[in-house]
Amino acid sequence: MDLVRLERAVIGYRTPLLPPLALSVHSGTTLGVLGPNGAGKTALLKSMLGLLPLLGGRLVFPTGRPPRVGYVPQRDRLDQSWPLSVLDVVLMGRTSLLGPLRRFGAEDRKRSREALEEIGVGELADRPLYALSGGQHQRVLIARAIAAEPELLVLDEPTSAMDPAAERVLLELVERLKRAHNLSVVLVTHQLTAVAGFATEVALVDRARGLFEVGPAREMMTPERLGRLYGREVRVAELGGQIAIVIGPPVDEARAGRPESGAREEAG
Amino acid sequence: MTGFAEFWAGRELWREPLVAGMLASGLLSYLGVFVVLKRMVFVSAALSEISGVGVATAFFVGAVAGIDPHTHGAVPIILEPVWFSLVFACAAAALFSLRPGHRKLAAETIVGLGYIVASALVLAILNSPRIAQEAHAVGDILFGNAVTVPRAQIYALAAAGAAAVLAHVLFFKELLFVSYDPETAVVQGVRVFRYETLLNVIIAVVISVATRAVGALPVFAFTVIPAAAALMVTENIRATMPLAVIFGVVSAALGYYVSWIEQLPTGATMVVVASVFLLPGLARLARRSTI
Repeated sequence: MDLVRLERAVIGYRTPLLPPLALSVHSGTTLGVLGPNGAGKTALLKSMLGLLPLLGGRLVFPTGRPPRVGYVPQRDRLDQSWPLSVLDVVLMGRTSLLGPLRRFGAEDRKRSREALEEIGVGELADRPLYALSGGQHQRVLIARAIAAEPELLVLDEPTSAMDPAAERVLLELVERLKRAHNLSVVLVTHQLTAVAGFATEVALVDRARGLFEVGPAREMMTPERLGRLYGREVRVAELGGQIAIVIGPPVDEARAGRPESGAREEAG
Repeated sequence: MTGFAEFWAGRELWREPLVAGMLASGLLSYLGVFVVLKRMVFVSAALSEISGVGVATAFFVGAVAGIDPHTHGAVPIILEPVWFSLVFACAAAALFSLRPGHRKLAAETIVGLGYIVASALVLAILNSPRIAQEAHAVGDILFGNAVTVPRAQIYALAAAGAAAVLAHVLFFKELLFVSYDPETAVVQGVRVFRYETLLNVIIAVVISVATRAVGALPVFAFTVIPAAAALMVTENIRATMPLAVIFGVVSAALGYYVSWIEQLPTGATMVVVASVFLLPGLARLARRSTI
């Protein structure tokens, strides 16, 4: 079952960023949207969520309604100077569940505290927002998304500015939440390691090369495709059950190879 | 007679202006918390000017139509300056709620353009020979004086305040969410444009009515100073808002009293008194900065 589907979609702010593309978010999967900085990933994400009107094509909700979305925005877009407690922020996730004209009640507070506990930061509930570290702030935003009781969890660059260990911990947390809440996940990132090993499907995006490819993760995370995406030599190896990716020196587009068969492709 | 005894003896004179000042300052200080946190302090100055364009336009249209504003009942209700003022301010508030899609035109640029164009229009219309005889009256309506306030303006302020309080009681969680994180709010199905417009229209109406009552300078000051002062010394929005209101109301009352006793300009004195409330926060800031 698809939750969201883009059909022959032309995305962009005024002019198309990418060729017309088709993309589905399947129930229970993790879709990694991967590309360099400025590749058009956020525009693609906004188009999928209906935040950015399509320049062409269709946005379809096969279940007949938009899915309930838990959204984790890029942390640095939020102002930490607001005089809000952590619980105030997590409660915001329940706004649309409650609807207008009603105030947050004991049940909303209970669910929000449970979300914080589940994320492992229950003790922060009454702390002011400004007193949090970057990692704690990120977790609070994930707790807010979970408090929204979502079907689809969307994370925009959740591991940027994190050290590799913290990145790993956060991605394992997302994986655990996915299983516990039967979620579909969309993970937008420019960090290869965030996608390798976690995404079941991968979309490669680069507007500079007019590139959009999507398919199962193991077919997309190949040296050829990643090399074409980044314009560099890429090596992919499996080490102890984990995927390691090494970016090498620049290579010609021609050397990066042609697309492999088997993966769906919408390349320009 | 002592200073306070003199002041008390003149209560028939100051009752209305003082009530108007306290009402306006309380409302503006509360809304100011949103204004300051959303980093849109210049919006209040722009809205004040734009509502002024409405007043000036009403007089100008009346003059062009040959209506004598001094003849009782001569001005049709549709040409009442207060309606023009509200319509202009609300239209500008709705415009400011739009998210500019133009990369080179930030939201603050649009607000700045509104302020500049409105200021120029007010000057141009006020200096038009068509309404030269009304310029003083128009100036009073435009900018108020905080010394004499008709009772009708107190009723208008009370009505605007009641509407603002009602909207905040009913939609506080939505207004807070869309102000803090509009992107996530829209993803989660909250009608961001609707609530941002509601907030901006409330701010516009209060500013428009308050400017007529107490003047442009105090209105701008009460929208910024009490909220900033409260934000610097509190860490919870539920404490910030009442504290900002207390700062605003005390500034208006004390400022009015000092201006009466010392025979100083009322609006400016209110603003100076309000500024005193910034000191604890600034001291705290200085202490933190030196560590």
